[in-house]
Amino acid sequence: MEFFKKQWKRIATVLLFIVLVFFSLEIGALSGAGIRSLFTGAEMRALELEIARLDAIPTDGLDNAELLALIQEQRETNERFNQLYSQRAVMLHSRLPRLFAVILSAAGLSVAGLLMQAISRNKFMSPSTAGTTDAAALGMLMGVVFFGDLPALAQGGMAFVFALVATMIFTSVISKLKLREVVYIPLIGILYGGLISAVATAIGFRTALTPILMAFNMGSFARLGNFTLVYIVLIPLFISVMFVTKFSIIGLGEDFAKNLGVNYKRVVFLGLVIVALISASTFVAVGPLPFVGLIIPNMATSFYGDNLKKSIWDLMLFGATFVMLCDIISRLVLFPFEMNVTVTVSVVGGIVFMIYLIRGMNSGKRIRAKA
Amino acid sequence: MIEVKNITQSYGKNVDILKDINFTVRENCVTALVGANGAGKSTLLSVIANLIPARSGEVLIDGKAVAKIKTADVAKKVAFLKQSQHFDIRIPVKDVVEFGRFPHCGGRMKDADNKKVSDALEYMDLKYIAHKYIDEISGGQRQRAFIAMILAQDTPYIFLDEPLNNLDMKYSVEMMKIVKKLVTDLGKTIVVVLHDINFASAYADHIIAMKDGKIHKEGSPAEIVNSEILNPVFGHEFNIVERDGKRVCLYFN
Ligand SMILES: Nc1ncnc2c1ncn2[C@@H]1O[C@H](COP(=O)(O)OP(=O)(O)O)[C@@H](O)[C@H]1O
Ligand SMILES: [Mg+2]
Repeated sequence: MEFFKKQWKRIATVLLFIVLVFFSLEIGALSGAGIRSLFTGAEMRALELEIARLDAIPTDGLDNAELLALIQEQRETNERFNQLYSQRAVMLHSRLPRLFAVILSAAGLSVAGLLMQAISRNKFMSPSTAGTTDAAALGMLMGVVFFGDLPALAQGGMAFVFALVATMIFTSVISKLKLREVVYIPLIGILYGGLISAVATAIGFRTALTPILMAFNMGSFARLGNFTLVYIVLIPLFISVMFVTKFSIIGLGEDFAKNLGVNYKRVVFLGLVIVALISASTFVAVGPLPFVGLIIPNMATSFYGDNLKKSIWDLMLFGATFVMLCDIISRLVLFPFEMNVTVTVSVVGGIVFMIYLIRGMNSGKRIRAKA
Repeated sequence: MIEVKNITQSYGKNVDILKDINFTVRENCVTALVGANGAGKSTLLSVIANLIPARSGEVLIDGKAVAKIKTADVAKKVAFLKQSQHFDIRIPVKDVVEFGRFPHCGGRMKDADNKKVSDALEYMDLKYIAHKYIDEISGGQRQRAFIAMILAQDTPYIFLDEPLNNLDMKYSVEMMKIVKKLVTDLGKTIVVVLHDINFASAYADHIIAMKDGKIHKEGSPAEIVNSEILNPVFGHEFNIVERDGKRVCLYFN
């Protein structure tokens, strides 16, 4: 009982996650192609044997009626086999990769936001409020401008370099500004991102690549081509989990970190590289998912505290659940068509972000009123 | 042993903050560092703990220059609690103390590490609030939690920069008693910055008085706590009385 009282948030999230995974795999235009199709291997092998057996039956001694019956049986077996085969193909080559992309990009962006917030010691930092995402778009565009039709991996590389540089500039400027009101930081960050976006738009206009840029900026989990790039997120995620205690300590300040023998500058740089890698690869693979990196870390740390070691798994689960929910909504509202997931995430995430922002402003006022 | 040799330090192109500082930290003692605001006390401790590099001169820990020792190894020798810990961070007391083990275990706690953490919590009487977040306990408890972290860090040398900040008298006295106990029970060597000269007089074994980036005078409380020395150090008129064998400064006039 005590266990349930303490862990109910975790249990609820896990249950919701499982339900959403189920839904995500089940819904779609092609009915009957749900999770069951993953377990039809034995049936398909049996059908294959049956087809071979039917093929091998000698037809010499058969009269017309018997021959017709055999052909009929062969056709039915073949149809059944083809149906199972295509359902399985949809599952393996569309729905499962889509699910992985949702989970990985969401978990990745949540971790990226968490690291940015620890590094800058500011709860309002995230890839979408520090110019990171916009710089990734600019990087991708520059890749197209200079090198033409690049493979996705090279586009990702360009996006990574731009994202890293833009984030480093922003974090170092912010740390020098010493703003008293933390709520201004995401607003400045959004302006900064807007500036980068404007540059991208201008370049897109000049080079007649505006349609490509617009396509970049509309996220979708149906963009099958570059999906594989999302698996790159596994590497920074793994590193984040490995060094999670170091990142927690960084979050307590430079002197605190140095006292514990942590090489502050190096860990901060590692963190920024992780952030840029995650932002760039998710951007190239699925497009922007605004606010995920901001609201999910805030939710996770308000539930489980700022010791990242204790919250990082919950954080990834939260992120995945949230984006999966948004993805399912995008697939259902215009059924059988799909809406861009960026739209759904922006609307839902934007509302939550506003709530956090207003709460942040109010608590700032409270503190000043006390002083 | 920690030896400080000819240390000078400045921030940017400003005037020298520390000017040719020389002293040896006394082992198994509470050394109080006193001086007016801006005298360079915090800077000196930061240099010794290798948080900022000295511009010239060197700090030797057991005969080895601190700048040449790996940061992670310095953290096993010297623990340094900075002046202001304005923590609005939600971390349980126990986890903060566990951070103290980081130099030893790199975040992967083993049985021995858990034992040290548990001992530190016990020693600082924090067991009953071990699971509370540090932003929801009192200032005195929070200061004790950080001391517990430093105990878990298990270093022979401990530097505390104004640990009595934000503590009321009861907690201040309690804190200084703990500092004393760490020296007598656990054989630690402690350097503590105190802004109230009376606490230095009552609890320190040795006092270093700093003025304008220089050591003005060092010695036992009996030698330092008199108005000829303290008046120039603080730029203030002291009236010193003796009561029960301890000297007390009256500084209201
Ligand atoms: N990070 C810094 N940058 C520039 N000047 C500083 C910095 N830290 C301290 N100072 C200056 O160095 C002098 C000594 O400061 P400090 O060591 O904090 O003195 P204390 O701890 O004795 O009050 C002060 O004049 C202060 O203004
Ligand atoms: Mg100071």
